[in-house]
Amino acid sequence: MGALADAGLSLADVDGYFCGADAPGLGGFSMAEYLGLTNLRYMDTTETGGSSYLLHVSHAARAIATGQCNVALITMADRPLAANAGPVLAGVDMSLVPERDFASPVALPPVFGYAQIARRHMYEYGTTPEQLAWVKVAASHHAQHNPHAKLRDVLGIEDVLASPLVADPLRRADCCVVTDGGGALVVARPEIAKGLKRPLVKLAGAGEAMKHNAAGRMQPMHSAGVHSAARAFAEAGVAPGDIRYASLYDSFTITVIMQLEDIGFCEKGQGGRFVADGNLISGIGKLPFNTDGGGLCSNHPGNKGGMTKMIEAVRQCRGEAHPAVQVKNHDLVLAHATGGLMSSQHMAGTVILEAE
Amino acid sequence: MLGKPKGTQTPASAEFQAFTEAAQRGILVLRECQDCGELHHYPRAHCPFCAGRNLNWREASGRGRLYSFTRMPGERRAVAPAIVDLDEGLRLNTVVLDADVHRLAIGDAVQLRFQPDPQGTPRLAFTTPEAEAARAYSARAFEAVDADREGFAASCAPAPVDTVAVVGGGNMGIGIATAFLKTGISVMLMDQNADALAGARARIAETLERDVQRGRLAADHAALRIAALETTTDMTRLASADLVVEAVWEDMALKQQVFADLDRLARPGVCLCSNTSTLDIDSIAAATGRPDRVVGFHFFNPAHVMRLLEVVRGKETSTETLALATQVGMRLGKVAVVVGNAHGFVGNRLMIAREQEAGRLLLEGALPDQIDAVLTRFGMPMGSFEMQDMAGGIELSYRARQARGEKSPVIDRLFEAGRLGQKTGKGYYRYEPGRKRPLVDPEATAIIEAASAAEGIERRRIDGAEIEDRLILPMINEGAKLLAEGIAARASDIDVVWQTGFGWPEWKGGPMYYADQLGLAEVHKRLSSLQGAQGVRFSPAPLLTELAAKSATFTAIEAT
Repeated sequence: MGALADAGLSLADVDGYFCGADAPGLGGFSMAEYLGLTNLRYMDTTETGGSSYLLHVSHAARAIATGQCNVALITMADRPLAANAGPVLAGVDMSLVPERDFASPVALPPVFGYAQIARRHMYEYGTTPEQLAWVKVAASHHAQHNPHAKLRDVLGIEDVLASPLVADPLRRADCCVVTDGGGALVVARPEIAKGLKRPLVKLAGAGEAMKHNAAGRMQPMHSAGVHSAARAFAEAGVAPGDIRYASLYDSFTITVIMQLEDIGFCEKGQGGRFVADGNLISGIGKLPFNTDGGGLCSNHPGNKGGMTKMIEAVRQCRGEAHPAVQVKNHDLVLAHATGGLMSSQHMAGTVILEAE
Repeated sequence: MLGKPKGTQTPASAEFQAFTEAAQRGILVLRECQDCGELHHYPRAHCPFCAGRNLNWREASGRGRLYSFTRMPGERRAVAPAIVDLDEGLRLNTVVLDADVHRLAIGDAVQLRFQPDPQGTPRLAFTTPEAEAARAYSARAFEAVDADREGFAASCAPAPVDTVAVVGGGNMGIGIATAFLKTGISVMLMDQNADALAGARARIAETLERDVQRGRLAADHAALRIAALETTTDMTRLASADLVVEAVWEDMALKQQVFADLDRLARPGVCLCSNTSTLDIDSIAAATGRPDRVVGFHFFNPAHVMRLLEVVRGKETSTETLALATQVGMRLGKVAVVVGNAHGFVGNRLMIAREQEAGRLLLEGALPDQIDAVLTRFGMPMGSFEMQDMAGGIELSYRARQARGEKSPVIDRLFEAGRLGQKTGKGYYRYEPGRKRPLVDPEATAIIEAASAAEGIERRRIDGAEIEDRLILPMINEGAKLLAEGIAARASDIDVVWQTGFGWPEWKGGPMYYADQLGLAEVHKRLSSLQGAQGVRFSPAPLLTELAAKSATFTAIEAT
């Protein structure tokens, strides 16, 4: 409702609905019924974990372009804390996954997969715990301006390094928060959008890509982001150097470093050096990221950070982020998410937004 | 459409069945495509590379190297989630377990070790060659203990034991009585205090009831077992006992008095066992007219749970008595290790060496959580101070010291502050009500720091490596002395004692095996250097010096 009100549209205008498996019931049926969407002619319930909502934005734009709908509503909401659910995805049943029978006897929460990426990254590229900590420090600088952030204290490197190890080498402070929450986005046909009294944000390009264990040939030092980003840049006709703000999936600090490299903001292996010395802090560094505090400090609703990544990217593109963190040149911004497990099966989504 | 009825499961695929059958034989099978030649893991009916359907099974070597790994802090079991590169070129998400996961490095060799899941299905896991070697050694160490028992029994078959008298209805007496009852042996539990006996009966019934609730024991068996318990204040009932186990208060005069009575009242030839943990078994035996039939039976608390039984051989103890004692130990499901008569016998002797040093480290600058973290990282299930808090060690140590007129700057203050351990909610740590997790307590830290000041010791930062050496090397040194004195018949007996009584991980063999892995020259060098810095308590034992000089090992020495 908030997203529609912000856009100056009503439920009756919505003819396309997009959601992930967090929506209760079968596909989007219950949500459509609950919200009172009566004019739907298009629905997409793509579920790829945290990246789902970036994919929805791209799918919505393409559905509009091919004339299948005019106004698309994308929603997500989950209450892992209230449900005491732990690090699982709402509506996703992993119990019958066939490859599970051939894998580890121990249940492994995502942090262990990312910790192994971090260790290998340190081994191959000399990345340090201090460099990982810089990602959290930057997020904390942004979160201080967000009254809704779960963690609002500005942290120093030593604060991060003093937090206990959760999965060596990752510390508690290297992990995102776990929160309840949700969000919604509206994607509208350009002709409709131009009639609304809000700053225009155009989808300049998008890309998606998947990786899995490849029957025992996985290459964990590159995520699928390499391909999703390349596709998005090609479609937008721009390069990483043109981007002035990035919403980056931040389940863990290492996730950010890996994605910076895979998107092309720096060379493979240079992510640790790239984030050091406050390079991700708005007003200080070259590439401000997650100016709402991100998943690392603000929120990570439903164990999925994609929705909030999109929302903050839109705010930046409109020039409506908090004044203390708003980037000056916000013509081109990027949002990127990795859904699933970067060390195994995952789907990356990249979205490039352009202010009009 | 109706849902599937509850309880039915999706039938396992043919690939899964073949994979599991091989896994049950400890073999990892891969799928090999005859069309394109590619191998794949997580077998399917087609090749994921060329979609071909001509697939073979191929046995993997089971060996690989670590691509990456992490650790699961807080797990009691040593588990490291890992990505492993198989020799065959496949990269798998798996775990390394039952190994020294704190000393893994990328590139390390690993080998297959399938693990059953809760349904008993083998699941893919790996361990290290070092851990496998330690387990093979451990198996031999246990075989040596079994061989001892069989050796004694071969020379004189032990007499049957149907009824045991347990003398003393305290904590240990209760545990020992429970252990016998669970084995199906009738027990007469004796104490002069009828109230104590009533309490003991209630606790034994409670333990058996808990076993029933947890499904470990059938209800009718529990009833039979409790019916096999007689509690009595009448010592003349001893005449019906086939074996007597004494578990009275740890006091020599008292034990001698009790043994004189036992000798008078038990049938001739019946073995009299003393559950002493510190006293001289020969002095106890001297109170009887049958010293050849007296033996130490050192159970560990709780006696019905802990696997270790140290059978203490006195000067006069006969082979026949040892045959009976080890046989009874086996019937109890214990690992009965025959040890010599010396203060602390084998297990506690090493423990005392470690704990004394832990106490000194506190005064010099370390804190309980730091020391405990070193020990758990080393592989022990619990650190010194968490264990002291759990077992009431502060009170025991305080009372023992008071009796001897000794002072301890830390323990005395903790005791005076009412910090007796878990049962008072605080000791070396503090505890939330109803929780067992130790929490660092500034009040305990202040007591420790004040103790250092009172002793005139300037506290310093002590690193983990120094703590580990100062805790572990004295145990090895003490073990060398026990071997030289003949208190332990062989190094592997010491290791069995520490695995079964103190939780030394099987993947690390035992203190003596660990010393051999470090190299005795290295152990000698480190002890000598500690001796230089800390004093003569670190002087290498003569046996260690001798073996180090000729590049020999503890575990290669034959039993004497």
